[in-house]
Amino acid sequence: MLNSFKDKIGDVLLPGDVFSVQMPESITDSKPEKIVCGPGLRRNGDEVLVCKSGVLRHKPPNLYWIDSQQRRYIPVKGESVIGIVTAKSGDIFKVDIGASEQASLSYLAFEGATKRNRPNVQVGDLVYSQLIIANKDMEPELACIDSCGRANGMGVFGAGGLLFKVSLGLVRRLLAPQSEITVDLGKLFPFEMVVGLNGRVWVKARTAQQTLIVANMLESCENMTAQQRQVLFRRVADGSI
Amino acid sequence: MEVCGSSSPTLREFGCEQNLLSRPDGSSSFIQGDTSVLAAVYGPAEVKVSKEIYDRATMEVVIQPKVGVPSVRERAREQCVRETCEAALLSKLHPRSSFTLVLQVVHDDGSLLSCFLNAACMALMDGGLPMGCLFAGVTCAINGEGQIITDPTAVQEKGSRALMTFAIDSTERRVMMSSTKGSFTVHELQKCIAISQKASEKIFQFYRDSVRRRYSKTL
Amino acid sequence: MAAGFKTAEPLEYHRSFLAKNCRPDGRELGDFRTTTLNIGSISTADGSALVKVGNTTVICGIKAEFAYPAVESPGKGYIVPNVDLPPLCSSRFRPGPPGEQAQAASQFIADIIESSDVMQTEELCIVKGKLCWVLYCDIMCLDYDGNLLDACLIALLAALKNARLPKVTFSKDSEVPEVNLENRTGLNIHKHPVAASFAVFDDSITIVDPTAEEESLSTATITVVLDEEERLCALHKPGGTSLSGQKLQDCISRATTRHREIHKLIDKVIQSTKTPE
Repeated sequence: MLNSFKDKIGDVLLPGDVFSVQMPESITDSKPEKIVCGPGLRRNGDEVLVCKSGVLRHKPPNLYWIDSQQRRYIPVKGESVIGIVTAKSGDIFKVDIGASEQASLSYLAFEGATKRNRPNVQVGDLVYSQLIIANKDMEPELACIDSCGRANGMGVFGAGGLLFKVSLGLVRRLLAPQSEITVDLGKLFPFEMVVGLNGRVWVKARTAQQTLIVANMLESCENMTAQQRQVLFRRVADGSI
Repeated sequence: MEVCGSSSPTLREFGCEQNLLSRPDGSSSFIQGDTSVLAAVYGPAEVKVSKEIYDRATMEVVIQPKVGVPSVRERAREQCVRETCEAALLSKLHPRSSFTLVLQVVHDDGSLLSCFLNAACMALMDGGLPMGCLFAGVTCAINGEGQIITDPTAVQEKGSRALMTFAIDSTERRVMMSSTKGSFTVHELQKCIAISQKASEKIFQFYRDSVRRRYSKTL
Repeated sequence: MAAGFKTAEPLEYHRSFLAKNCRPDGRELGDFRTTTLNIGSISTADGSALVKVGNTTVICGIKAEFAYPAVESPGKGYIVPNVDLPPLCSSRFRPGPPGEQAQAASQFIADIIESSDVMQTEELCIVKGKLCWVLYCDIMCLDYDGNLLDACLIALLAALKNARLPKVTFSKDSEVPEVNLENRTGLNIHKHPVAASFAVFDDSITIVDPTAEEESLSTATITVVLDEEERLCALHKPGGTSLSGQKLQDCISRATTRHREIHKLIDKVIQSTKTPE
């Protein structure tokens, strides 16, 4: 029943949980409800199979997914990630994005780049870029331009900041519109932050000390409830830590 | 731990913690009485070309004993755990990659193989690897008087006439893995399977509770 | 055409046979391949046997040596089995230290020897705390075509039955054992464990005695070991798809008939070697 599935929204589900989404006979006349399975859910005929542990989320009208605290990144087309350039070979760069394979990034996929005018990218540079090819059978491919050929915030960045890894769940929480964590952090002191969906976060504040404070606080947010977090933020604001 | 008849099987007190190591993609520690195992999982990660499989992920399991280097016994157990994990994981979703599971014995006080299985399942879940079902490991010992003891201690294992470990899957409660020692009748086997299936209910409920506890902060 | 189909879609190829309750080599689902046994094939060993299950060929040689009994069990000897899968038997095995499958098989055979009481290790003791026999059972696969464990166990059992140890007299004064190579006695085999292996196809169809190809395509394998009193010595299922208790029961019943066949075969072969004397 679809209802039993809907009842579980906001609840923790485990792999192997199966829900039937077939409509009962009596109301087959009404238009059958479609559901869209996001990450962690798989459709198998009239059944929905959970394949990751986490919280079931729902976005109207019919999008369902499992919110898990995974750490390993699995490339998804269209997501923006932070990569580290590991090699230059011919006309592509190899970029480590924390997935099972290195992604490739063409030197032409930068704003204003032409065959003559190559972008200045060195091994070890950080790039903020978008996945344009990502599926299980192919090597992921990145681009630092959008469909109009604009950089749109993407490209090489990261002089003097600090890069660290957090769980994918925390990254999604940071990127959510009106994320409480980012708003609260912003009240403490000004800093720059780049968040990649592959779990990498880059932070730069005015001083190295402040950068470290922000990094440590973000890392500790992972396992804190909202109240615990507010207490911590207040203490930092008071200067007691 | 205790002798059980027709009533619900008794297991030693068990505990679990997920996500306790910072480097691996998923980790767990599982404690059954005094038996304790630490599990870490990496994946989907890059795979050696020689081990690459074109249509699914390569699963590797490494068992580290408490002292000394892994021996033939560990190899046999690695095979059991690996093939159980392979059956539970949807490895077709990550072709040409590898899943690596490392199991470290912290303390062995009997029912070690079942503890490996439970720790492995929790670690795989923590790592967010796609799974079709969960599995629970249950060890049964038959003592000299023919009584069945679930989740025996090392002393009870030594005094037993037969020892069986089963992995039970979460969807249909069927036998995924079976490893036995000693001789026993068919009737005893079926009885042990039935008891293990019953005991697995408790373990699955425990899995659910501990995952819920873990996510309680983000609910 | 059929060869192309087999290469391109091996799983579909097998399924199309299984749908009609038969297998590519002409067997029915519950049939074993022809099993042949030859004992005493290695004249330099103390006991030996060569087993063929279809194409799978396994040879087992037993070498008896003197050893000191372990301190914790002074009245016992040892049986040390070892399964070797050399690159000779299949292209899937590489030279070098034994791979996981060989090690798992060795452990499995060792477990069977221990759990089935095939023979009492006390009988291998010559002088308590001073001298005992150690039986090195080297099992080598010459041709690998699936169902290794069944073949190994038949070879081991036949070789043990074939083995004859020389009489040893131990003089108390000089503490030197004297071996009388002329006077040899057989071992006392108490139990006859026989294995039967099964492969599971598509989570539901169980087939008996899988070939190497069927093994690699199957989703699970099971090995059931029974002795003559129909007691189980092992139910070895290293993972794979899950099976209900009922399905396992079916496998056990099939293993019972298999035990009778093999027991008869071993007895027949041993009888046939005795007659010329």
